[in-house]
Amino acid sequence: MGRHYYYHKYGDGIGIMPIEFLQNLSEMQIVGNLTVLSLLIGGIIMATGLIIAKVVKVLFYKYYAPTLPKDTAQNLSKLLYFGIIIISFLAFTSSQGIDLSGLLVAGGIFAVVIGFATQSVVSNLISGVFLMLEKPAKQGDTIQIPDMSISGTLLDIGTFSSRVRKFDGTVIRIPNEKFFTSNIRSLTASTVRRADVMVGISYKDDIENAISVIKKEIEVTMPFVLKVPEPEFRVEELGDSSVNIQVLVWHPKDDWSQAQPILLTTVKRALDRAGVEIPFPQRVIWEAKD
Amino acid sequence: MSDAGNSFTKYGLHDVNDLLEISLPNTEIKIERIGENAFSYFRKDSEGKIVEKMVPVKSNQIQIEVAPIRPLNHPARRTGYVFLKFDKEIYLSENSAASIFVHCPIEIGIFLIHDSHHDSLDWITCNPLNSRFGLYGSPDTGTLCKYAEVSLATDYSDSIPFVEGVMKIVIENTLSSGQTVSKVIFPITDNSLYYEDSKAIIDGIKVTMKKRAVVSIADVKTAPVSTDWTKSPTWEDTTITTSMEMGLE
Repeated sequence: MGRHYYYHKYGDGIGIMPIEFLQNLSEMQIVGNLTVLSLLIGGIIMATGLIIAKVVKVLFYKYYAPTLPKDTAQNLSKLLYFGIIIISFLAFTSSQGIDLSGLLVAGGIFAVVIGFATQSVVSNLISGVFLMLEKPAKQGDTIQIPDMSISGTLLDIGTFSSRVRKFDGTVIRIPNEKFFTSNIRSLTASTVRRADVMVGISYKDDIENAISVIKKEIEVTMPFVLKVPEPEFRVEELGDSSVNIQVLVWHPKDDWSQAQPILLTTVKRALDRAGVEIPFPQRVIWEAKD
Repeated sequence: MSDAGNSFTKYGLHDVNDLLEISLPNTEIKIERIGENAFSYFRKDSEGKIVEKMVPVKSNQIQIEVAPIRPLNHPARRTGYVFLKFDKEIYLSENSAASIFVHCPIEIGIFLIHDSHHDSLDWITCNPLNSRFGLYGSPDTGTLCKYAEVSLATDYSDSIPFVEGVMKIVIENTLSSGQTVSKVIFPITDNSLYYEDSKAIIDGIKVTMKKRAVVSIADVKTAPVSTDWTKSPTWEDTTITTSMEMGLE
């Protein structure tokens, strides 16, 4: 063998060696008609397909994804990537002379069996497709799922599950079936949102004056509160110890943190400055005389 | 640098040698040389907020341009629309037109001119209390706007220094009935601003009330001003987030 190799390398037959090598490979059968050469060609096809898929994915993310909505870009990217891989796989099977028609018949029966066994997986897959079509919320939206007591930012809607980053920074994975069948409250779908607090003032204080000082303090110190619609005040209840006033203000959807968390502080500050009492729960006791 | 008539700095170009102090209503700005090719920027505004920046440049000479800009940045840039509510309603009879001047809020841009660059360095508002948001339409589909209650002005010279510029609004009623106009909502991003000394004017708008099919609409178009005042540079937000390993802002 060594001599043979030497002859081809330095003799007149330079170039014959690789052909002979390939012929040898084509003669080395693994199973049935499957030879080492056909497997090598199949491997090259699959590897080329994988490389093309990755390159297309990278190019897509670089040049086209920035102009598309995040979730659309992600879904299109997956479609391109797996589409190229499936085409490569089909090319691979045809290069090996594998007839898939028999597999399809067997696959039909097999799919029924698998379908029963993996109902929840299929259900999640179908729900994922419907979520992508219906788009109850898009990537980056702040959402609330009251049924599951989850609030946070929607990171993505995947094939089987969706991920939400909660406000505490942790990421929660929700199976698509549960996500699809739950009530989803989008906190950023509207242009503006409303924040509200309740405050009680004493019975001896003037309601109009209390509302006036609160309104003025909000106007001066809360720049994210909208002038139109203007802050609303509702005398909600004549409570046991206080007259309860509800304060409602509108703010741009992205500026919740500049309204809701500081609204009560602003209201209290206004009432404190104006000398309006915020009463503690109290009880008047009448002592009967014999 | 300061005007002898009042203590405030005028709009325009200012050379920075070792120290430049810019005085605006309720606002104090200092640009100081801290090295051969480095300057420091300090600003304290009417709300007590302090901004400090380091400005390294190639050349050892810089200029600062103080100019009026569109009122879109305070308290945060959220929209390109402006909602002007007139303090007095305007009644227009059928097939008539009116031309009015109104005071429109402005902000002030601080631009850095160095090495043949013209950069947006900072912005301020001298009247933050009149810089609020308003909604036109419903909460789910409406348009978020910068909101201001505006009064009528006599002419272009009626500008309130550093606080309000003057804008001309032409309102035309082509409808077959009289109309009362109390507000106007329009994108201000196409309107340029012009300055002279401490006064500012803004490109006007033309509002045409007309019938489109069965709906009455108000069509708003920009009407550029013809003036020899200096045109303000366009403010560009340079605070972008760059993606890198540790982030950069």
